[in-house]
Amino acid sequence: MGLDVIAAGVVLIGLIAYAMFAGADFGGGVWTALAWGPRARAQREAIFRAMGPVWETNHVWLILIVVTLFTAFPRAFGDLFTALFIPLSIALIGIVFRGAAFAFRHYGSEGGARLPATGLVFSAASILTPLTMGMALGAIAGGHIAIRGGQVVTELYEPWLRPFSIVCGLIAVSICGFLTASYMTTRTTGALREDFRNRGLAASLVLGGLTTVAIPVAYADARPFFDRLASPAPIAVMAAAAAMGVASLVVLWRRWFALAPPVAAGTVALVIAAWGAVQYPYFILPDERIDSVAAEHATLVAFLVSLPIGALILIPSLVLLYYTFSEKTDRPAQGSPPP
Amino acid sequence: MGLFDTVTSARALMGMSLAFHISFTAVGIGLPLMLFLAEGIALRTGNEMYREMAKRWTRVAAVLFAVGAVSGTILSFEFGLLWPTFMDFSGAIIGFPFALEGFAFFTEAIFLGIYIYGWERLSPRAHWLCTIPMMVSAAASALFVISANAWMNQPAGFKVVYGKAVNVDPIAAMFNRAMPYEVTHGTLAAYVATGFAVAGVYAVAMLRGHRSEYNKRALVLALAVAAVFTPLQIASGDLSARFLAHRQPEKFAAMEGQFRTERGAPLRIGGFPDPDARETKYAIEIPRLTSILAFENADATVRGLDSFPQDAIPDVRLVHYPFQVMVASGFFMLFVVTWFFGVAWWRKRIDPGRWLLRALVAAAPLGFVAIEAGWFVTEFGRQPWIIWHLMRTDQAATPRAGVAFLLLTFFLVYVALASGLVLLLLRPPGRAARPPEEAADGP
Repeated sequence: MGLDVIAAGVVLIGLIAYAMFAGADFGGGVWTALAWGPRARAQREAIFRAMGPVWETNHVWLILIVVTLFTAFPRAFGDLFTALFIPLSIALIGIVFRGAAFAFRHYGSEGGARLPATGLVFSAASILTPLTMGMALGAIAGGHIAIRGGQVVTELYEPWLRPFSIVCGLIAVSICGFLTASYMTTRTTGALREDFRNRGLAASLVLGGLTTVAIPVAYADARPFFDRLASPAPIAVMAAAAAMGVASLVVLWRRWFALAPPVAAGTVALVIAAWGAVQYPYFILPDERIDSVAAEHATLVAFLVSLPIGALILIPSLVLLYYTFSEKTDRPAQGSPPP
Repeated sequence: MGLFDTVTSARALMGMSLAFHISFTAVGIGLPLMLFLAEGIALRTGNEMYREMAKRWTRVAAVLFAVGAVSGTILSFEFGLLWPTFMDFSGAIIGFPFALEGFAFFTEAIFLGIYIYGWERLSPRAHWLCTIPMMVSAAASALFVISANAWMNQPAGFKVVYGKAVNVDPIAAMFNRAMPYEVTHGTLAAYVATGFAVAGVYAVAMLRGHRSEYNKRALVLALAVAAVFTPLQIASGDLSARFLAHRQPEKFAAMEGQFRTERGAPLRIGGFPDPDARETKYAIEIPRLTSILAFENADATVRGLDSFPQDAIPDVRLVHYPFQVMVASGFFMLFVVTWFFGVAWWRKRIDPGRWLLRALVAAAPLGFVAIEAGWFVTEFGRQPWIIWHLMRTDQAATPRAGVAFLLLTFFLVYVALASGLVLLLLRPPGRAARPPEEAADGP
């Protein structure tokens, strides 16, 4: 396995981590929008407190993805942002408003001041960002980005405003909702926990439905993707994802709440890993392979050597962070992170 | 070059985004040092006033750091959205310091998180110790990011074969010639700006008659930081200018408004460079001083803009004016902080008069003004190149139309962010958090 494949693995791991951690934050916005029933306000408050200490650190996974892309795959980075100019711009605006709304609300609530409409902005941005990011991933996997002679030749809307990409966008949103609901079951008690359990069950079914629907849609709209499905590695990972998804339903149904966060995170990791397995060895289906867009050897070496060294500093720091702040958030105490 | 063509829009958007981001990063670098000092003094002396100071600064640090993180993300996307050709060429060369910066930023975010939420959970000593990784990682972030900008001015660590970069050496690229100068000047600037800005807040309070012990102590602490770093910053500015005179003479000529090559060139203070008349009008000229400052020789020859190919020099007005603003701000800040400590030393007590307080209020934004102006000098002074003497800025932009629309959108985004921040920061603090049952809807 070459260094280029390892670097591509870093991108995939970054995506999985971003989905597992920041995805839950986006899901917080989804459930803030969908909060209903007698405990709507309590639901929102619990979500907000759970995100407090950690949303910035979760957000850093996105930086890892972007930096890995332009360091190790500079050509693909340029091509992706050219081809997906609009969805990535929308995702970016969503990230900005979501982060700002959260920071402002947080600061405001500590100081007793509050800006109007931050809740609405927060929810809208939390839905828009995973939706457009999912659409962008769908465009990459679906073989909708055409590159000829090093130039992107697809039009502005062509690669991502189509059925397969839209289904991928919806999958991304449901992943976020599913994660948040599952994580919140360990952070709440009583009736509030039941609320999140029911939401987790619903989101799990939606996610299962959408991933199933994605396959016939791919047959109709994303043949390069569909044609690669029927090989051993993708089948194995997809089967594992499906099994894990069923496990997450069982866990929530039987109220084994301690298991809900790891099983939900595992399901999401496997869904994204399945996407990676189908794509391999292509970086952008069907025109750019990993080895044809990777940077030079010296760059890959420097980059890949810096990762474990950085991890030596980061992992103990992260453990300290999560250790310092792990407790329930349905009481007005300081918050705690997703697992 | 139309007003809203792709290249102009891309430059305007990138410029706006960096101008916005750079102020927050300066606070992100400067405030950890102030927290380290304040909480350290509280631990050492048992004076709770300093702990209170650190607590109040932490709240501000939290929201400013969050906005800095958000605006930094905007920049990482804009590399791809606006400059895909530039990134295609240079990503493999300068991506490495950005990767390291990612780690440094992540470390700062983690420890800031622990710091903000850990007042009651950690021992006072452990809590104070969190400021050390924050300080170190913030300064390291500055080093890594600025090294990439230095590389754009003094590209190193690769060879060009058929328009592609080969034999890439990311370490050599990071430690390019301009890196020590730019990094030092850019990082020290953050401490100066933070010191004066914090001092300004307390100067305002004292002008309004709140001459409490707390306000005085906070003012002295902030100005102590400023007093240490302002002279260092002026010295590093001198070194940077000398470096440019030797290594990037067209940028130096534009800074000084030097059109003609001249032996014993004067230092021009102020003045209006006129590109048509090829001279800088109405400047206060101090004979031979530019030659002395740049080359330590009163008869040294300073190259003028006229001696360079005319399609490869910056617009002198965009470089000379910001340079004057930066230098003037720097010396005014030096003057004010000297005044403050001079009076305090003379009277053996801290009791600044109204005019001194007014001067401190005037100096409060100047650190940031100088940062922005200095950054204008670096960027406009490098034009028309995005990579000096290698790739022109207009060749590096995206082929996509619609950048002007993005520019407009992000202009509104920044207005919203800035007004939200101003509203929040100007509201009087002190009201305790309401219990969640009474809180308004939504985060």
